[in-house]
Amino acid sequence: MIRRAFNTLVVALFALLFATIAVTYTEQQTLPKLAAGYVKLVPQELGAPNVITGILLTYRGFDTLGEVAVLFMVAAGLGLVLGDSTRRRDAVPAESEAIVPSTELVRNGAAILFPLISIFAAYIIMNGHLSAGGGFQGGAIIASGVMLLLLANPEYLVDHDFLGGTESLAGVLYVLAGIAGLIFAGGFLDSRMLPLGQFGAFFSAGAIPIISVLLGVKVGCELSVIIDRFRG
Amino acid sequence: MTKLVGSFLVLLGAIFLFSAGLGMLRMPDAFTRIQAGTKASTLGNMLVLIGVAFYHPDWSLKLLIVIYFVLLTNPISSHALGRAAHAIRIPMTRATVTDALRDARETDRSAS
Amino acid sequence: MTNLPISNIVLATGFILVLIGLWGILTHRNILRIIIGFSLIDTGIHIVIVSIGYVTNGTAPIIDRALGPSEAPSRAVDPIPSALVVTAIVIGLAVTAVMLAYAIRLYESKKTLSIDAFTESKW
Repeated sequence: MIRRAFNTLVVALFALLFATIAVTYTEQQTLPKLAAGYVKLVPQELGAPNVITGILLTYRGFDTLGEVAVLFMVAAGLGLVLGDSTRRRDAVPAESEAIVPSTELVRNGAAILFPLISIFAAYIIMNGHLSAGGGFQGGAIIASGVMLLLLANPEYLVDHDFLGGTESLAGVLYVLAGIAGLIFAGGFLDSRMLPLGQFGAFFSAGAIPIISVLLGVKVGCELSVIIDRFRG
Repeated sequence: MTKLVGSFLVLLGAIFLFSAGLGMLRMPDAFTRIQAGTKASTLGNMLVLIGVAFYHPDWSLKLLIVIYFVLLTNPISSHALGRAAHAIRIPMTRATVTDALRDARETDRSAS
Repeated sequence: MTNLPISNIVLATGFILVLIGLWGILTHRNILRIIIGFSLIDTGIHIVIVSIGYVTNGTAPIIDRALGPSEAPSRAVDPIPSALVVTAIVIGLAVTAVMLAYAIRLYESKKTLSIDAFTESKW
């Protein structure tokens, strides 16, 4: 009773605060100076039509490196909390039917859908610099494809060694690309070390496609490992 | 004129989507909720996309591909959810009359 | 077509999602529903951050046939909040994964999903 009154009071006070902000907010009429600078600089210096990917992968590339590190720490931490081998041995199996086999509907659907999902993920990763997309988004789509395979075939054992090795290799190559930017061009993760190419073509914008591919592979492997840990 | 038809189809789709949400709130147990959520929301989705196709006729092919994708994935996912819910023995509401999956599984087990 | 205050509408939608998530965390006793509340707060905050970057009558900051490179600084929407939100979505996923892992271990230790069963650290 008193807990209910307390909850309502807290939510009402927050609602008052948010309403004050939402009502008195006026829309911006022009871009602020930093944003206008970015929108002008990215097509000019980097040759990338997509301004957001240019910011994420070059001008704020160090933040992206930090985020990649956070993802790696989460995958390792989940392996610590959930992947204990003694826990798997002592776990009580389900009451009567251990693993329910998947039906023909799900298996056929997965057989049709998994190639489509893979092509779509590759398209989004490679088109990160031309239109909306990028490494993180494509990696999440690959992980959803792997989850579809897990659903369709319950005895599918994900090869943790292969995925872990691929992910670490992609991470190391990402840092090496950053250091190469340091040596050959302006600074860490500067994508101008490769030629800019023609604006709007597929192979353009310096090293941004390569960095996108590395990010996509790394995020896809990590999310697949995270999803698989929840299965045991 | 075509814009009027398109807007009407989008409104119809929105009504179906709203009824899907309402059904998920008011249905008694998990199985009826899965059914309400899937059927109404798939139809609402498709109607909204067809309405948008009336607004922009040069997007028709892409929208048709998206409709095909939605029609392919929604029923499969709800089928998998329903079978999983039955496998961990979620209790059914008391108004249930028959349970065809349990009968089928028992005949399979007694036959093998 | 009158000028709708788009920024204010989207800002209000984001804040409503945050309030729903907050109420869910405070009221429910089931651990999984509390985690869903956290996820709702995350989504609401992302919508709020993106809506701050909207410029009146602006369009997406992607240079293609519709938006030339010379008229981009006057008509594009602010790209920096969108870049921040891309990072924030990934971090939100990571936090939800860790919360779910802890929920699994808590369930295995006490065989119940109600948060009232864990009273060891209360005074």
